[in-house]
Amino acid sequence: MTLTDVLELATPAPATPEPRRRRRRPKIGLWLGVGWLAAVAFCAIFANQLSFIRAYDTKIKVKGRTGRYNIGPGWRTWMGTDASSHDVFARCIYGAKVTLTIGVLSTIIGLFLGGLLGVMSGYFRGWVDRIGSIIVDSLLALPPLLLALLLVYRMDDLKGIYTWLGWLNREWEITLTLGILAIAPFARIARAQTIALRDREFVLAARSLGAKSGRVIAREILPNLIPAMLTVAVTGLGILVAAEGALAFLGLGVQRPLTWGKMIADGQNDLARAWWATIFPCLFLFFTVISFNLIGDRLARRFDIREAAI
Amino acid sequence: MRYFLQRLLQFVIVFFLVTFGVLVFMRIGLNKPGDPARTMLGGTASQAQIDAVTKRFHLHANYLAQYWFWLKGMFTLDFGYSQVHSLNVTTYLKPKILPTVFLGIYATILALVIAIPVAVYQAYRRDGVGDKVGSFMSFAFVSIPALVLSPLLKIVFINHLQWFPRLFTKVYPWDNPIEHFKNFFVPTLALTLPLAAIYVRLLRADMVQTLQADFVTLASAKGVSPTRVLWGHALRNSLFTLLTNVGIQVGGLVGGALVVEKYFAMPAMGDTLVRAILSSDIFVVQSVSALLVATVVIVNLLVDMSYAVIDPRIRHARALS
Repeated sequence: MTLTDVLELATPAPATPEPRRRRRRPKIGLWLGVGWLAAVAFCAIFANQLSFIRAYDTKIKVKGRTGRYNIGPGWRTWMGTDASSHDVFARCIYGAKVTLTIGVLSTIIGLFLGGLLGVMSGYFRGWVDRIGSIIVDSLLALPPLLLALLLVYRMDDLKGIYTWLGWLNREWEITLTLGILAIAPFARIARAQTIALRDREFVLAARSLGAKSGRVIAREILPNLIPAMLTVAVTGLGILVAAEGALAFLGLGVQRPLTWGKMIADGQNDLARAWWATIFPCLFLFFTVISFNLIGDRLARRFDIREAAI
Repeated sequence: MRYFLQRLLQFVIVFFLVTFGVLVFMRIGLNKPGDPARTMLGGTASQAQIDAVTKRFHLHANYLAQYWFWLKGMFTLDFGYSQVHSLNVTTYLKPKILPTVFLGIYATILALVIAIPVAVYQAYRRDGVGDKVGSFMSFAFVSIPALVLSPLLKIVFINHLQWFPRLFTKVYPWDNPIEHFKNFFVPTLALTLPLAAIYVRLLRADMVQTLQADFVTLASAKGVSPTRVLWGHALRNSLFTLLTNVGIQVGGLVGGALVVEKYFAMPAMGDTLVRAILSSDIFVVQSVSALLVATVVIVNLLVDMSYAVIDPRIRHARALS
């Protein structure tokens, strides 16, 4: 028996990679999601140029007269009219513009602040981590919608008291509020990922070469956070859009143009008579949320992130 | 045990921090003497009235002192006074709390009752037709906000099928269980379905992992019946994520409840809270927030404790320390 034979016996055979039994899942969901969001975003951005979208204030007349819910869904108005004879479809599109803008901007705010908090907690640990986790726990201890109601309402008040807050309009109030709500989840995932990364070899290597903390964070940690943060951001967008809807439904939304939540609230009492005034905004909200979830789910699979897969 | 005390301490700190934060936040910008009182009284109030209210609620004191007075009241169940409704907050809130509590408890229990069997089945028959359908359904329901589900359920069950009353009337289960069930069923369903979907997704993912573990193979090999392996061995070891999430979802559940209660016009906490915020009813806002924070904190603490019940390793580690 030669030495090579012994070695061969001693080394276990490399595990044969398990054949992929599962077919690759079709990406229909992903493309449906992207398609819906692209279509809505396109209509919302070019609402004033597209001829099939009526102007926001156009009232639709039947035999020369306006009336409550005077037309149901059909050729003339695709989604019927609302209580003041406005085109529901057009209003949904104008609402989409506000909702999507608020969603994206507040995600950016949450991503920035939450990411900062999470990376600091995860990288420095110790008392920084303690304080960070108390901030995150406090943000999570109040039910998000309650926190949002408080923030929006008080910002409204403060605007009247301090003149330097005059630039705050409803859009900005809601954007800031939802941005604050988004801090906690981003901070959590950033912290968890940073803790996992900071003991990896390449980070140790950078540190032992004498790189300062700032450089290690910027050059080694942050680039590796992008997949997880992106996934959470997309899934979070769905949640924020739903939250904006809930705020609007509770009466603290943007007043003009109306958003979906407010339209649902307005149609609430006439549900039996004019289902279209409620159902179509509902569908817009549902399709938008599920689109973000579909894309987020795909990203989570792609980057193999479990926390975001809820 | 040490871990447990640490959690407890952190929760207590969070409770004080958040309730104090709410108190300060409701008063920021009202720094001229008499301002908070004027806001509370609303409209045109005479100087004498303002002075009286300021004095009664120590509104001239600094925030910490005010917090102290309020906290002291809380412990004697005196939550303050609702200026808008001219009532004690305790008297005002008492009838509103129960419907919300019922709604929350029913929704959580029903969600678990639906989710656990579905998830266990899906994990057991992984990649089968049932699993595919279940995954599709749970994905769809995760994406339906309560705001969308409420109108849909109302159209189907209340307007079309007419199984349930159109107007919500508050009936306690000890008065008339059937009416109580009829009134609460649709709102509960609107809260339950998305919640159940989240639970199904979490538990299924965990069960799939557990079912591949060695101890499951061993249990089957030594002849334990599949049912026992599934429900006794595998489920018990897969419950942790689910339980943690029951705690995490409490906050979201309250948010959902606000919307559902408003949609079905239930006279409960949601409606009360929105009104209180809109009318600057400072003490109602503070009390409701304190109650909600306390609920979230206590549920999370209970969840932590339940780990010890499920996992003997944690129980014994505690006995040793």
